[in-house]
Amino acid sequence: MNRVGEMIARIPKAAFYSAAAVIQVLLVFLMVADRMQVLRNGTEVTLQTRAIDPRDILRGDYVALGYDIASVPTAGLSYDIRRGATVFVKIAPKADGSYEATSAHLSPVAVVAPEILLRGRIQVTCFGARGGCERMNVRYGLERYFVPQGEGRKIESARNAGRVAVVAAVTSNGRSAIKRLLVDGKPVYDEPLF
Amino acid sequence: LPWHLPLGGAVFERAYRQRLEVDLARWQADGVIAPTAAEAIRSTFRPLPAGIDVATVVAILGGLLVAAAFLAFVAANWTEIARPLRFLILLAGIGGSYTAGAILDRRGRPYLADISATVGSIVFGAAIALTGQMYHLGEDFAGGMALWAIGAMAAAILAGSRGALAVALLAGVIWNGARAEQLQEVQLSFLALGFVGAGLAVAWNSPVARHLASLAWLGWWAGTALGVRFGAFSEFTFLLACGGSLSLGVGLLLATRPEDAVARFGLTLSTYGAFAFAVALAASFTDPELHPTARIIQIDWLTLCAVAAVVFALAAALISRRIGTGLAVPALVLGLLAVFTWPGLDNGAGGEPWFNYGAALLAMLCLVVSGMLDDVRPRVVAGWFGLAGVIASITWAVKGSLLRRAVFLAVAGAIAIGVAHLLTRLRHKVEA
Repeated sequence: MNRVGEMIARIPKAAFYSAAAVIQVLLVFLMVADRMQVLRNGTEVTLQTRAIDPRDILRGDYVALGYDIASVPTAGLSYDIRRGATVFVKIAPKADGSYEATSAHLSPVAVVAPEILLRGRIQVTCFGARGGCERMNVRYGLERYFVPQGEGRKIESARNAGRVAVVAAVTSNGRSAIKRLLVDGKPVYDEPLF
Repeated sequence: LPWHLPLGGAVFERAYRQRLEVDLARWQADGVIAPTAAEAIRSTFRPLPAGIDVATVVAILGGLLVAAAFLAFVAANWTEIARPLRFLILLAGIGGSYTAGAILDRRGRPYLADISATVGSIVFGAAIALTGQMYHLGEDFAGGMALWAIGAMAAAILAGSRGALAVALLAGVIWNGARAEQLQEVQLSFLALGFVGAGLAVAWNSPVARHLASLAWLGWWAGTALGVRFGAFSEFTFLLACGGSLSLGVGLLLATRPEDAVARFGLTLSTYGAFAFAVALAASFTDPELHPTARIIQIDWLTLCAVAAVVFALAAALISRRIGTGLAVPALVLGLLAVFTWPGLDNGAGGEPWFNYGAALLAMLCLVVSGMLDDVRPRVVAGWFGLAGVIASITWAVKGSLLRRAVFLAVAGAIAIGVAHLLTRLRHKVEA
């Protein structure tokens, strides 16, 4: 033990400070690298946004996004499932090309193209007190899009008029990231990899 | 090792030496000790490390102002700066802080080096938030806090920084509370971080780290109590009572260890435990959400914690063979009984919980005497604090008859005066 202590004592302190900085920089970089991987390798899906609670609009610097796929059928899930639990939602394209949630699962399940598996967390569930319900709300981490200050309002107005859609990249294990923001079908924000 | 910064401890050491110097001069003048003896006592002390002087304080202020100016400049031009450049600015902020820390440490300025590492850890937290914003990352607040806590803890270990440890434990406590609230489940992940914090407190033998680790441990209890609703209701005071009792029991047991650093950590933990226990006990009698045993007992892991607290305190008493430590056992047993058998403010039975009131008063009295006999002043203060709180709770309880409570308090007071009289007579007999 003493030898280990002596060895550590011989290392310059600058090396310890450098190691601390490298670890923190790496952790921040990993956040971005993970998203880059999703954008690069993920399958593109177009998700229709919908109007959300008017009390939650006009954030100014980001747009709050609500999706049709946020409402997920609960069939097949156990009754003790709780708010905050991770779920894997199977989504499938409708006739108009946008996606709808068809089922939810507690672990990843196999999907057949054009179905996509999307990972999310249960936001609201009415299981328990009333013995269950048919649908629940799920969040996918795609519910905020930061824009330059002041530019959010016009997008929020378009969103509430049902003119905003989001193109998301989804990996095979269900992780997702916003790739493009569309207004009236035309891209207004396109996310570069970095 | 980069783990021996004289923070906190040096302040007390300096005060002690000043007092000792005055005493030595007086004893020498009175002829109690010879000048050679005074010199021999002085020579046993190592020279004190340089403290924070005025120049250091001004330098800290200057550094903070420059950092604030930099942040304001970046914030003012944030949207005009290209995203990759913004990202690099954040990473450079982290790197720059630790570079400054290494340089200051090399120049023998441990306080400034510690502050640089602390600033680095704070910039790291800001970088996590801003990166999440820039890259539209999913809004996992608790996950971000966990990442912050882990990175800051790495800095605390590597740079030996008390400030980074504070950042890590604070972020960790918030992470625990947020995740517990989100999942409505007790989260044990934070405990790993807490154990690392406690390990550092022992390895550094630092008062600051001891206080931080003890506070973080109670923070875990508070976060869990606030975040998770057991059944339909919160049981904040109940959880705090269990957490405080366990801290007191574990702390007393650790305080019996022969290793100085472990014993000191145990003493600090037991003090925080005593305060939490006293506050929770007093508050529980006015808590409308604290429910009767029948419902509470279902939280069986809390029952286990309460039993463990008593067992640890008993073990500490047997190992140390100190009456003061031994008196912590009845303090815990009586206090926990008072909480566990609490019938609730809306008990519907019509009667008042005299047993609970009496047990709580006796528990706090035992805590005061325990602190007195162990010569641990903070425990005495915690006991008095608890006594005052319990009496106030009994007096101001909204439900029940005020007249009956007046009689109860009068009888309890009369018994206490009677016991005091008996003890005085006993002491005179022993002295005779």
